[in-house]
Amino acid sequence: MQNRFIASLIVVAIAAAVVTAVVTVRLTQPGRAAAATAARTVDGKPDFSGVWQVLNEAHWDLQAHDARPGAVTQRGVYPFDYVQVPAAPVLALGAAGGVPGSVGVVEGDGQIPYTTEAAAIKKENAEHWIDRDPELKCYLPGIPRAMYMPYPFQIVQGTNKIQMAFAFTSTARTIHLDQVEAPPDDTYMGHSVGRWEGDTLVVDVTGFNGKNWFDRAGNFHSDALHLVERFTPITRDAIHYEVTVEDPKVFTRPWKISMPLYRRLEPNAQLLEYRCMEFVEEFLWGNLRKQQLVKRWEGETIIVDITRKVPPADKLHDWYRR
Amino acid sequence: MSKRSLGLRSIGVAAVIMAVVVLLKLAPVPRAEDAVRAGPAPKTPWGEPDLQGIWTNNYEIPLQRPARYANKEFFTDEERAELDQQRTSIIDRQANETRRTRGTEQDVSGAYNQAIFVTHKHVGRRTSLIVDPPDGRIPPLTPEAQKRRDAIRTFQLALLQATDTCKNKLPGCAGGTYGPPSPRRAEAPPYYLATGAMGGGSINRADGPEDRTLGERCMGAILPDFGGLAGFFPQIVQSPGTLSIFYDTGQGQGWQRVIPLTGRSHLPSHLRQWWGDSRGHWEGNTLVVDVTNFTPKTDFQGSRENLHLVERWTRLDANTLEYAVTIEDATTWTRPWTVKLELNKQSDQTNRVYKEPRCHEGNFGMTALLAGARAEERAFAAGRGPDPATLCSAGCGGFAAGFADSGEESNPLTN
Repeated sequence: MQNRFIASLIVVAIAAAVVTAVVTVRLTQPGRAAAATAARTVDGKPDFSGVWQVLNEAHWDLQAHDARPGAVTQRGVYPFDYVQVPAAPVLALGAAGGVPGSVGVVEGDGQIPYTTEAAAIKKENAEHWIDRDPELKCYLPGIPRAMYMPYPFQIVQGTNKIQMAFAFTSTARTIHLDQVEAPPDDTYMGHSVGRWEGDTLVVDVTGFNGKNWFDRAGNFHSDALHLVERFTPITRDAIHYEVTVEDPKVFTRPWKISMPLYRRLEPNAQLLEYRCMEFVEEFLWGNLRKQQLVKRWEGETIIVDITRKVPPADKLHDWYRR
Repeated sequence: MSKRSLGLRSIGVAAVIMAVVVLLKLAPVPRAEDAVRAGPAPKTPWGEPDLQGIWTNNYEIPLQRPARYANKEFFTDEERAELDQQRTSIIDRQANETRRTRGTEQDVSGAYNQAIFVTHKHVGRRTSLIVDPPDGRIPPLTPEAQKRRDAIRTFQLALLQATDTCKNKLPGCAGGTYGPPSPRRAEAPPYYLATGAMGGGSINRADGPEDRTLGERCMGAILPDFGGLAGFFPQIVQSPGTLSIFYDTGQGQGWQRVIPLTGRSHLPSHLRQWWGDSRGHWEGNTLVVDVTNFTPKTDFQGSRENLHLVERWTRLDANTLEYAVTIEDATTWTRPWTVKLELNKQSDQTNRVYKEPRCHEGNFGMTALLAGARAEERAFAAGRGPDPATLCSAGCGGFAAGFADSGEESNPLTN
């Protein structure tokens, strides 16, 4: 029934709710004293093994943004862009369907230096978020997006490889600390080669296919994307993570994002599966069912009827009688 | 049937098969007995056995012992050479020689001949991967499991009964009879359809994605994984307290497994996962992993949520990792059984593991299958085509309508 579709929207909404409006505290570059408390491997390198997760709103939008009433909104009674109302896909979710504000994770002036042409594509992406965002289709999230999605990931730091396992769609990336030839074709997750600069793990990532986005705001890149990630311990339980983004096809100059990664300190922390391929089948193929579950599809367009029944106790006269 | 729907169907079938089948072309490897004994099993800098690297089974060994080798644990060298010769002749045979009448359902469903399902690996020494029970066969099913299997088979046959597969008594219809379209075509399946990548238990219907096999849905990866026809490359990375394995398996259906090496108990029993919940610990040089909490949506040889695995990973020497798994489910088999697989170290350069291309991002096969089925229904409704219930648009028993694992095409290791 349509509940299934609503359920998939609820997933998006819960993701928003879990990361509630926490104001990002820009941590200063970790100093030597802080790093002294970092976990260490037997050969003295910082040991990043563990379950980690960001605590920010970067997955909604890398840039500073106001809170808004819905992941998708539409014009209400006022003709101003700053007064929108939730649009149908999230309407029934009330306050759980909104998007928390953020001071952003883009360094410097907070701007992403798009070329004129790319800026127009970004704007269109944002306007057609539900139609276009690869995350909604459960596609491989790419780097850096996988690092700040609202799901935990686990680092397993081996001797010549560092494996990162992501709860989202049970995917992974391998950071090669040794020399390994790049893949013969472009990829969603890129090819990562790491090296140590003192206590900082520096990872060079190339080989992207240009099909990923940075966030749910439509920020995007091309297949010319080149990342330099830097992982530096702040304490045993926090990593300073920064990424320099370079893509001459889309941006006029390199730019940088940074944020802390936090260790999941629950003693029973572990990754649970988020096998979303199954969750998105209705989203991807519902229009090709013999008998439609979501009312209604028109060709390849979903038009959702939303059900929200007002519980009896919420009705005004019930409240008044009490 | 309209040209368009046949076209769509062929694209769908071809795409789906491409999604699940990979032809493994390994460079010739020296026979184990010829190889110079490899160096000792290494340790990690923190003193645990080092299982890291990319691994796969260099030799082809059937899961179950073929009946004609009963009571024989090992092949002789002559038998291995003979089997390799027979398998090579299947691979070398031209596809044309085994094509059915062009344009028929059999031809379309069997777009690939047996050659694609024969690996290029040499036959190994063992006659079966199963080492216990001693007959090398999966133990008998319990009556309860047999009932589950029969219920699904009856449902499959109901959806086949109006097709040419039953009319012509092809292998896909074994146990069924030809008849009018069954009213069961409108029913939900008796159990979650958890058919594996090769489609052996698929149903002849494509009302929605859930009617299709897990392989076609890009969710074919299961535990335990022995490589199967498509082969696999587990990549292991370990840190103190954790071991992680990326299973490059099912041509793009790979997944990442993390095994905590902890004394902590399993997840609460109401938490259920496709790949269960793994807990590992070291027993001497062997990593022992206990796996429970499987979802009822998974299916390993008929076992679902009660599947319990005890895996034992032991690095025998620099080049060899032994994987032994005891498989237990009292609701499915009359006794536990054990599979032993020898994994051989692969070069990081020669067999590099990528996390993609991944099946799901390019799953146009699913779109084509469903669109083809809808086109057939529209054609029938408009009087332009046959009743879809009489067609094998969604596969009449996997590939059984196209070819059967019998006769001269047959793989001598599995028939």
